[in-house]
Amino acid sequence: MREITLSQAVNEAIAEEMRRDETVFLIGEDVAEAGTPFKVLSGLVEEFGTNRVIDTPIAEPGFMGIAVGAAMTGARPIVDLMFGDFLYLVMDQLCNQAAKTHFMSGGKLSVPLVLRTNLGATRRSAAQHSQSLQALGAHIPGLKVAMPSSAYEAKGLMKTAIRDDNPVVIFEDKLMYQDKAPVPEEEFLIPFGEANILREGNDVTLIGTSSMRQVCEKAAELLEADGISAEVMDPRTIVPLDEDTLLASARKTSRVIVVDEGHQSYGVTAEIAARINEKAFYHLDAPVIRMGAMDVPVPFSPALEDLTVPTPEGVAANARKLMSGEMIHAA
Amino acid sequence: MPHEVKMPQLGMTQDSGVIVAWLKAAGDAVAEGDALFEVETDKATMEVEAATAGWLAGVRKGEGDDVPVGDVIALIVDSESEVADHANAEAEAEAEVAATDQTPNEAEQAEETPDGAAPHAPEPAPASKAPAPMPSAGKVLASPKARRIALEKGIDLAALRAQGVKEPIHAEDLSQVVTGGHSVLTAAVSGTALDALLASSDNANRAALFASFARGAWRVLFDAETGVAIRALDGTTTMTGEDSAALTLVDLCDTRLTAYAPAGGGSTLTTARQGDGYALTLAFSEDALPMPLAIALLDDIAARVENPIRQLL
Repeated sequence: MREITLSQAVNEAIAEEMRRDETVFLIGEDVAEAGTPFKVLSGLVEEFGTNRVIDTPIAEPGFMGIAVGAAMTGARPIVDLMFGDFLYLVMDQLCNQAAKTHFMSGGKLSVPLVLRTNLGATRRSAAQHSQSLQALGAHIPGLKVAMPSSAYEAKGLMKTAIRDDNPVVIFEDKLMYQDKAPVPEEEFLIPFGEANILREGNDVTLIGTSSMRQVCEKAAELLEADGISAEVMDPRTIVPLDEDTLLASARKTSRVIVVDEGHQSYGVTAEIAARINEKAFYHLDAPVIRMGAMDVPVPFSPALEDLTVPTPEGVAANARKLMSGEMIHAA
Repeated sequence: MPHEVKMPQLGMTQDSGVIVAWLKAAGDAVAEGDALFEVETDKATMEVEAATAGWLAGVRKGEGDDVPVGDVIALIVDSESEVADHANAEAEAEAEVAATDQTPNEAEQAEETPDGAAPHAPEPAPASKAPAPMPSAGKVLASPKARRIALEKGIDLAALRAQGVKEPIHAEDLSQVVTGGHSVLTAAVSGTALDALLASSDNANRAALFASFARGAWRVLFDAETGVAIRALDGTTTMTGEDSAALTLVDLCDTRLTAYAPAGGGSTLTTARQGDGYALTLAFSEDALPMPLAIALLDDIAARVENPIRQLL
C-alpha cells in the first residue's frame, strides 16, 4: 500500500469530501494561499476557489460564529483553528452554541461542523502554542472528539467527521504532520467509537491517544524484551468512547496504563481510568495508572519541555512496576 | 564555559537551514547582538545574532552547509586564548558523530532521563520498597481480582498471608493454592486445672473458655485477632470476639462423641472428654493453614487448657 504523510491524508480527506458535497467549505486563518502554517491545506484554494476556502482576519470568535451559523442553515463548514491553544477564544461559539443548538431547538436545527485543530508539545513553541486541550471538548455534551494517531486515522476520521450531523472537534498532533503511514487509495471511513487494537498482549493494557499511541507501541517493544506481553489500544475517538473494547482488554490483562498528552489532572486519562475502575474493578490486579503531561505550563526550554510529556521509557517503567506485584501508590 | 551557537528554528515547518555566509570568522571578537552568519530557510534569508559577547571559535559548518535545527555550528569563548583550543572543531565533531553514531538530539535526550523513568509518572512511595512485615495484623491487602478469585474458590486470604505470601496479594499468588480436603490433629491433655477453674464459679462457661484459649493462641501465633464461632449441640452458632471467625469451636464434652470433621472450608476445633482429661481435635485445610502453624496453634491451645494461667500472660 502507498504511504503518505498525515498532512497529505488530511488534505485528501477534505478535498474528497469537498468534491463529493458542495456544501462543504473551509474557513480560518491562512487556509487559502498559505495552506496553514503546517502546509496541510496546500492546493485546496486552487481547486475550490476562495468562495469555498475562506481566509479570515485574525478573529477566531468571529469566524467560528460565522461557521456555526452557516452549519445551522445548511452548510457543512470545516473550521481551521491554527493552534489548539486558541480553543479558549471560541469556547462560547463551540460549547454554548454549536454543542447545544440541536438540543435547545428541539431537534429542529443541527450543526454539522468540523473544528480541526491540533495538540502536542515538544515543538519548542512555548506555553501558549503547545497545549493538548482535548479534555475541554470532551467535557461538553453535544461535541464529539476525534484524535487520529496516524495518517490512516487522520483521513478516515476526517471524512467521518465531515459527514457527521453533529459538531466534531478533531485534534491532530502537530509533530506528526510529516509522519507517513500506509493509507489506501480507495475511499474508506473510520466509524466513531471504535477502538483499534494495535498489538495483542496478555500482561498489561496500554491505552494511548493520538501520538501517545506511538509512545505505547514503543513501550510495548521495550517490555517485550523483558518478557512482558503488552496490549496496545488506540480509542481513536474519546467521544464517543469504545468502552466495550477497552474493558474487554482490561478484564483480560488485569492491568492498565492510560496515556494522553493532555495535563494529567482532571483529564482524558482520568476519565478512561475511572470507567475501567468502575466497570472492570473485580478483574483488576493493580490500580489503573494515568500518564498525562506534567501539570505545568509547557516550558520553552527544550530540556525542561521534554520532561513534561510521557515517554516510552516512562510507560515501560510503570508497566514493570505493575507486573512486579509491589505496592503501587498511584499519584 | 564556551557558549554554543546553534542552528535556530526560524519557521514553524523548518527542520534545517542553509548557511549562506559567515559574517564573522574564527578568532574575531564579537559583541552581543553582532550578526554572526546568514541563514536561508524556505521563506527568506536572515541574519543570526550572537547571544553573548566573546570570541568566535570552533566553527564547524561552512557556507553552503544545510544544518539541522539545534545542531551546534560554532562556539563563542570567553577569551581570545581559548580560540586555538577549538581550532580543529570540524574534524572533532565528525569524529564524535562517527564514534557515537547518534545525533546530538538523541544523546541529549538520553542524558535527560538517565534512569529511563518519566518524572511525571506516578512514583512509588519510599515505604513500598521496605518489605512488609509478615504476617501483619488487620485487613488483608489484596487486589480486587485476587479477592474475587478467593471468594469464588473459598480461599482464606488471611491464612495465605499467615503462610508468608507478600501483600498486596495478587491473582498470581492464588494460582498455586489447592482447595479442599481436611487434615486432623489431636491433642490429649490433663483436665485437672480446667476442671478446678470451672468448679470455682457457677457462671463458668466451658465452651467460651475454650474459645478464649483459641483466640489467645491465635493472637500469639499470628499477631492478629480472630473471632471464634461456637457451634452448640442444637446447631446454633454464637460468635465470640469482635473479628470475623477463622475458627469454629464444637464442644462435645457433654456427649460420648470424640471428634467432628466438617465438610466445608475453614478450621474447626473439637473438644471432648477423654478419661479425666480432654481430647482437642483440630480439623483444618492445609491450603489455608499450613501443618507447622496448625501444630503450633493446637499445641498452644492445649497448653492453655492444662494451665489456664497462661491465658493471662
